[in-house]
Amino acid sequence: MSPRALARLAPALLTAALGSGCVTSTVDEMVFNEPTEGVGDASVVILGRRHASDYETEPDFIQCIGRHIQRGDPSIEVVGELEFLNALYPWFEPRTAPLRPADIDRLMTQPPVAEKLASLQTEYLIWVDGTTVQTNSAGSMTCGVGPGGAGCFGFGTWGNDSTYEATIWDFTDRAEVGRVNTSASGQSYMPAVVVPIPIIAPVQGTACDGLGDQLLKFLSSEH
Amino acid sequence: MTSAPERHAGPLALLLAALLALAGCGAKEVVVQGQFPEPLMSRLPLTLGVWYDEAFREHEFFDEAKGRAESDWLVRTGEAQVQLWDTLLGGMFERVVYMDARPAPAQMNPAVDAVLIPRVDELQYAIPAQTNIKVYEIWMRYAFELVNTKGEAIADWTMTAYGKTPTAFLQSDEAAVNLAAVVALRDAGAHFATSFTRVPEVAAWMETLDAPTAVAAGPGDAP
Repeated sequence: MSPRALARLAPALLTAALGSGCVTSTVDEMVFNEPTEGVGDASVVILGRRHASDYETEPDFIQCIGRHIQRGDPSIEVVGELEFLNALYPWFEPRTAPLRPADIDRLMTQPPVAEKLASLQTEYLIWVDGTTVQTNSAGSMTCGVGPGGAGCFGFGTWGNDSTYEATIWDFTDRAEVGRVNTSASGQSYMPAVVVPIPIIAPVQGTACDGLGDQLLKFLSSEH
Repeated sequence: MTSAPERHAGPLALLLAALLALAGCGAKEVVVQGQFPEPLMSRLPLTLGVWYDEAFREHEFFDEAKGRAESDWLVRTGEAQVQLWDTLLGGMFERVVYMDARPAPAQMNPAVDAVLIPRVDELQYAIPAQTNIKVYEIWMRYAFELVNTKGEAIADWTMTAYGKTPTAFLQSDEAAVNLAAVVALRDAGAHFATSFTRVPEVAAWMETLDAPTAVAAGPGDAP
């Protein structure tokens, strides 16, 4: 088959590739004090913990959880991470962020901080800590460009592991009221015959859905 | 018959490939750009003069490639430094006055309580290609001088700042280094805002002015 014929087949191959790699996922939940009627008019903030030296909780993962919660229950107001960090600057930066719920009391002694938190009506603060890493990779792929066109040939595969923990703080009671862990792993593949066809395992997306579902159960009266 | 675009496709592809190959060899330049929020804190009742010298206003860091596989790096932070410190000091002090020159004995100066002179002593960066960790990092060491209008030293201290950002799909090295620099600048602001009144010489000087010093007690500090 000529490279041009294969290139014409590319859309069909890509469509076939929409089927994604397999992912396995587990979720553990520990809830101490669940709200019985949801969060009402109050808002929820989801922040990434960024204290570790060798990894960083991805900002897009935090956004993903926020979107998941709002899709599941549009009545829950989720304050954007950057919006909250900017509004409360410099008190929630990695260097200054409270490490224990009791530290919120010390923040509240500052009138501008207390006023801002009151205006945001923040009831729950959810800290998310973790990351997605590539665990293994194998295979090889060669790409070339010539007067007749360009193409790749080969096969690659890699694995991803996601591990995240969400810790829920109650702003009113200054207490930790729940903890959710999720881990997911999956293998992605990329065969290439002229056109590389990625078959991506949505590992981080699965972790986001798992964590988002558990948080929705906690925060929403409808779930 | 070959249409005009097809006739040019071969040379164009070669040109594109050559450009892509050359792109890997060139110097990488980052002009740090970001938004810095005003600090949420009670303003110190002081009129602070600020003097940014030329080295600070136009601060840049150059790192020469150590091998053929690496690139030269030029990181210009001057503009962002001025933007950050203008915003931060404006939110920390009741009044900020920009000096026309470094304070000196035989010089007419505006009436200020003290003049702050910041300096970037050192900047280091790390990218995943150097560390095998999926984060981009920027580390800076600042030196501050607080002087009176005659140029006599009130306090002299150093402070570090650190920022990192994770790798992200389709994100260039330059964009990631910019993000890490913005995080480092935010950290510098947070560090300064929460530690200024705890610098022993500054605290002693403020006692002589009878100004409140409780503003900068961060949540991580001992009660």
